Amino acid sequence: MTSRGAPRRVGGMMAALRGGLGRCRPLRGAAGPGGRWPAPTGGAALRPCSSGAAPGRLGKAVIDRIIRVDHAGEFGANRIYAGQMAVLGRSSAGPVIQQMWNQEKDHLKKFNELMVAYRVRPTILLPFWNVAGFVLGAGSALLGKKGAMACTVAVEESISDHYNSQIRTLVEGDPEKYKELLQIIKQFRDDEREHHDIGLEHDAEAAPAYSVLKTAIQLGCKAAIFLSERI
Amino acid sequence: MAAAAAGSLRRAGWGLWRGRAVVRWQLSPPQRPLQASAVLRRVSDEHKKEPLASSSQQQFDSHPADHQPGQEPQGPDPSYTGQGSQESEDYESEEQLQHRILTAALEFVPEHGWTAEAIAEGAKALGLSAAAAGMFQSDGSQLILHFLSQCNTKLSELLEQEQKLVQQGEAEKKPIDQFLRDAVEARLRMVIPYLERWPQALSILLMPHNIPSSLSLLSSMIDDILHYAGDQSTDINWYTRRAVLTGIYNTTELVMMQDSSPDFEDTWRFLENRIADAMKMGDTANQVQSTGEAIVQGLMGAAVTIKNLTGLNQRR
Repeated sequence: MTSRGAPRRVGGMMAALRGGLGRCRPLRGAAGPGGRWPAPTGGAALRPCSSGAAPGRLGKAVIDRIIRVDHAGEFGANRIYAGQMAVLGRSSAGPVIQQMWNQEKDHLKKFNELMVAYRVRPTILLPFWNVAGFVLGAGSALLGKKGAMACTVAVEESISDHYNSQIRTLVEGDPEKYKELLQIIKQFRDDEREHHDIGLEHDAEAAPAYSVLKTAIQLGCKAAIFLSERI
Repeated sequence: MAAAAAGSLRRAGWGLWRGRAVVRWQLSPPQRPLQASAVLRRVSDEHKKEPLASSSQQQFDSHPADHQPGQEPQGPDPSYTGQGSQESEDYESEEQLQHRILTAALEFVPEHGWTAEAIAEGAKALGLSAAAAGMFQSDGSQLILHFLSQCNTKLSELLEQEQKLVQQGEAEKKPIDQFLRDAVEARLRMVIPYLERWPQALSILLMPHNIPSSLSLLSSMIDDILHYAGDQSTDINWYTRRAVLTGIYNTTELVMMQDSSPDFEDTWRFLENRIADAMKMGDTANQVQSTGEAIVQGLMGAAVTIKNLTGLNQRR
């Protein structure tokens, strides 16, 4: 006599047939600010979709990375401007750098709030970016006002490209759900673009070894972005 | 008729096979080749079954007398009939089935330990065959992970309810050390019914293939507790706080297993002392930092004074 387990098994299989290949259910529970994201292992009823299988659905991992790397970026930018101010604070470029620094401080504050709201882990490399950013800012400022501006141009160009690719990811993924995040990133991208233009206005291109400096700094930024997303 | 019976038997067999593939997929994310092969097997299963279903449907269509409203195979067992039409109520996914079996198996853990026997007893308690335990790994690790994940869910529901009460003004906001103490105590108390078998569970969780899952469950639990405690750190403190709380939780768990005092008083006192130590450590770290800053400022002041005295600070 077949046990009563068998009909359920058949039922399960029939449903799986109907479900078809892309058997992907949306994550249970509220996502987004303050929402509770279930643990991926051990929870028998949960199977998060990989972002490849269901287009238009961004997993928590993607949003985590975005916020983590942006937070690290703003933190680093803060430290770069602090380093520049430490050297050039009393020179003629002081007020310009101070103003850009204040905007970066606002950006960082915003990302701190987002990080708590989305419950994102910060990158463990933050102490390293703390020192590296300050050293980069102070080092470029020691090359003179134009050196500092060249550093600003290189970093801001990297950052605005990076924000642009994040905006693309979000728009392709789920622009409605992450409307607020998209808005914030667009605003910040515009601010960084403005900093980039200010740097150019202040003779960044006349800095000593401008192209070498710019390439080196942008390479460093790419490495920092890669690491901060993952670690 | 015979073909339909054979088809249903074949489907039951594939279900077991697919069940195992699903289980492997769920619990071993690092094992990518297995995962890939499980995916391929599911793909091929589903592809194989669709032509089978359609061919059996054709057989039914040609025999209107045997036709069932839900197009289920009319096997010898009368309980099969009519199932298709009730599909939305009777159908449950495999994860739900596994979930139910493991939950039922927890009752038998004090007697049989965290083993396949307990899972088999659980399956029997639900009226399923004891062979359903074959869906799971033989070392009982899925049972333990299921239990852990259930405890974590219960804990976060508890913490969320508390938070709601505080927000609605019906309860006082607890100071942090008491909040942490209560949360860890609540979570550890969930283990008490299984305490005799818990050392076995911990040793199974330490096996290499279980470490990723158990670590992930542990870290999400600690993250939950700290989140509801109001932790808003976004720097290296995020890591240090979680590391400290994880250490406190693990040591308290070990103490609890050796504790024989009434209602585990010694354990809760141990917990209180460790949390007090952790709070003091935080204060000490702050004091060290401010002392360090004060020293640096003192040195800078001394340097400027010396520069002034020796005339090196002249402005041109």
